[in-house]
Amino acid sequence: MSENEINSKRFTKTSLVLKKEFNEKLAKGIFFSMTLAMIVPLLLIVSFLIYKAWPSLSFSFIFDMPKNGMKEGGIWPAFLGTLYLVIISLIIAAPVGVMAAIYLNEYAKDNWLTRTINLAVINLAGVPSIVHALFGLGAFVLFAGMGTSVIAASLTLAVMTLPVIIASTKEALSAVPMTFRQASWNMGVSRWQTIQRIVLPNSISGILTGIILQVSRAAGETAPIMFTGAVVFVPIAGDEVLAYGLMDKCMALAMHLYTISTQIPNVPESLQFAIAVALLGVVLLVNALSIGLRVYLRTHRKW
Amino acid sequence: MVESTAKLKIEDLKISYGDKQVVHGISFEIPRNEIFGVIGPAQSGKTSMLKVINRTIDFTANAHVSGNVKIDGEDVFKVKDVYGYRRRIGMVAPLPVGLPLTIYDNVAFAPRSFGLTDKDQLDALVQRCLEQAALWDEVKDRLGSLGTKLSGGQQQRLTIARALSHQPEVLCLDEFSIAIDPVTTMKIEDVLKELSSEMTIILVTNLVQQARRLAKHTMFLLNGELIEEGATDHIFSGKASNPKTNEFVSGAFG
Repeated sequence: MSENEINSKRFTKTSLVLKKEFNEKLAKGIFFSMTLAMIVPLLLIVSFLIYKAWPSLSFSFIFDMPKNGMKEGGIWPAFLGTLYLVIISLIIAAPVGVMAAIYLNEYAKDNWLTRTINLAVINLAGVPSIVHALFGLGAFVLFAGMGTSVIAASLTLAVMTLPVIIASTKEALSAVPMTFRQASWNMGVSRWQTIQRIVLPNSISGILTGIILQVSRAAGETAPIMFTGAVVFVPIAGDEVLAYGLMDKCMALAMHLYTISTQIPNVPESLQFAIAVALLGVVLLVNALSIGLRVYLRTHRKW
Repeated sequence: MVESTAKLKIEDLKISYGDKQVVHGISFEIPRNEIFGVIGPAQSGKTSMLKVINRTIDFTANAHVSGNVKIDGEDVFKVKDVYGYRRRIGMVAPLPVGLPLTIYDNVAFAPRSFGLTDKDQLDALVQRCLEQAALWDEVKDRLGSLGTKLSGGQQQRLTIARALSHQPEVLCLDEFSIAIDPVTTMKIEDVLKELSSEMTIILVTNLVQQARRLAKHTMFLLNGELIEEGATDHIFSGKASNPKTNEFVSGAFG
């Protein structure tokens, strides 16, 4: 090849380059269409639900009592019941889960006991919720004598969410580089001081995200609360906030939706969809909160 | 009691991880207030030896250590207050580690963890340590910005400032220059020469010439065995007692 030929080819696209560019575009296109394929069903579901629910949706729908054999009126007892169950189960599961994860990730030596516990945590996270329901029924309702109550249902939900909280917290903790801990230990700083001042401040966003995502799971599950605390109807006053005691039975949105759609004849269709919208609203609101928190804390990330 | 000139005295030190022995019974003394060079290729047990000296080997689950390590005649494995003991040893790791805190908090971290809260004392300490590490002039106007945002060479000097913040008697440097540029390396070397008048410095290095420039005594480790230890001039003279030493310092292997 003469020097001129080399120079003229230097800036032309060879067939190899063209093929590379084509593959690049193809890959990008496929991945983008898959992303779209994820969003479209979500938008369709949400808009379909809202469209169907529109006649029943109003502000007072949330704060009213069900009327006329639950064929009319609002969902306040169920809404409140779901809030109770979610908050109490998190109050139980979050501290236990986070502390267990700190032990497993920061203190535990790599021996057969730790490995067994880790394996158990992963397997527990995969147990179907109906199995948790039966466990809750046996352990809390019958054995511990709590009866079907808010506390029994919350404990069942806590047991269900605990392994996932442990797993996600461990993940967040192990994302903090080991070199930070070593640098801290080298200066004679104890493990606990290192955890307090270096590890936790830098993993808190991941820990919180993991916990908050469990809120939507606890709010949406019907099976674990069906036998342990949630009932078809509890009459409470529309303006009461502290309506349920720990030992009371309660209503819950997921359970309410199930009852209305399958057990009661002649319920207006829009009412069922309105309950679904309320449930979805609670879950999406919580997820939005978690995303916001993550974005806020990530901008404060320090390495 | 006659004060021995040796700061650290190590006898028959053996280290193994699980079934794998990495240090095979080495004995040596590190003289007080001078730079002690440790050279040797990778996998020769240099870092493990430093971990024993500041007892962070305790954090390695499957490590087994035997032998005697004495600092000022005191057995380091019988130390009751291990946190207080680690404070007497400064440690600088190969890769710079800026803790995810401000520059000020990076240096004030260790003193605070031992209960020093007085603002004036902390200010003075932070300034002195940063000055000693030749970093003060570059960061004095932005002590509140993040230590992790500094350049690699600056972070390494920050690491040194942090190691000095708990006023150690022994400063261990583990291949401190592998991730930083030559100019910064020279700056830090000047710092070390100055510091060696007030503390014992153990300089583990992969650059044999660095040991030659700085150290008064040098030790050559190979595969966990002590090949030779003696005055640096002798080790690098080409007339060292062990032919392997001559080969290593002249760059024949390693």
